[in-house]
Amino acid sequence: MFAPLVTTVRESVRYRGKEGHLSWVLHRLTGLGLVLFMVAHIFGMGMVAFNPPLHDAMIELYKTPLFSIGELFLAFSLVFHAINGTRIAILELKPELWNQQQKATRLSIGITLVLALPLMGIMAYKSISHFMGAGH
Amino acid sequence: MPTGRTVRHVKPISRGSNKFERAAWVFMRFSGLVLLFLALFHFVMQHVFIGTHNIAVSETMKRWGVQGQHINIDQIAWRLYYGVTLLLAMLHGLNGVRQVAYDYIHARPVFNILMTVVAIVIGVITAIGALALILGTAAAPGIA
Repeated sequence: MFAPLVTTVRESVRYRGKEGHLSWVLHRLTGLGLVLFMVAHIFGMGMVAFNPPLHDAMIELYKTPLFSIGELFLAFSLVFHAINGTRIAILELKPELWNQQQKATRLSIGITLVLALPLMGIMAYKSISHFMGAGH
Repeated sequence: MPTGRTVRHVKPISRGSNKFERAAWVFMRFSGLVLLFLALFHFVMQHVFIGTHNIAVSETMKRWGVQGQHINIDQIAWRLYYGVTLLLAMLHGLNGVRQVAYDYIHARPVFNILMTVVAIVIGVITAIGALALILGTAAAPGIA
């Protein structure tokens, strides 16, 4: 039943599709990750109306070291999915650019890094100074 | 054990669902473009300008408004913003999961059961979020 999934995982590692393949795999993984997080996040936010203690517990969970690391992945996922998705949408409408797929993919990975790395850096700095800080 | 070919046990998409697939394709582009701004703004605001460690329910109560209290124009705007983000993100996510699942789960009944479960989970979560936005935050005393 899950043979296609096993094949996909194995061939995804083996297939040497370079950055085009990498961004295809990352788009799916970040998308699934974002859906999982959103389901948990919206449930937690909804509890601000129905179960305030549960909502508070979720907010406090966001402030733990584990989530401070997790939110870095979240930042990368969100930025990558947004930028790569934009590339996909633009290229689908512009057949004249189809011979420049690799350039476009490298550009979208570059823009992702330029946006995501400072974002992750600021968040990491905030978390580190929070956990090291005297006010904790 | 690689067989050298992929055997698909799933029926190809029927002609009748072409309209739906086209609408889904357009929706993914439209919602993606809008979410690029809505979701990134939300993320940067909470994680950079406010900071995860400073997030407090008192801020949410101010922004959304509290159940049973007068709601001002700013709070209506915030609720609309979160409502649009919520709906677009969840539908975008649901269709994304459908596309990925369709590629890997070739047994049609398994695919159908999985997608029914996913749709119910996403539907219920979306309803909880939307209801919270319509009602406003709880007025429970003593919460920070």
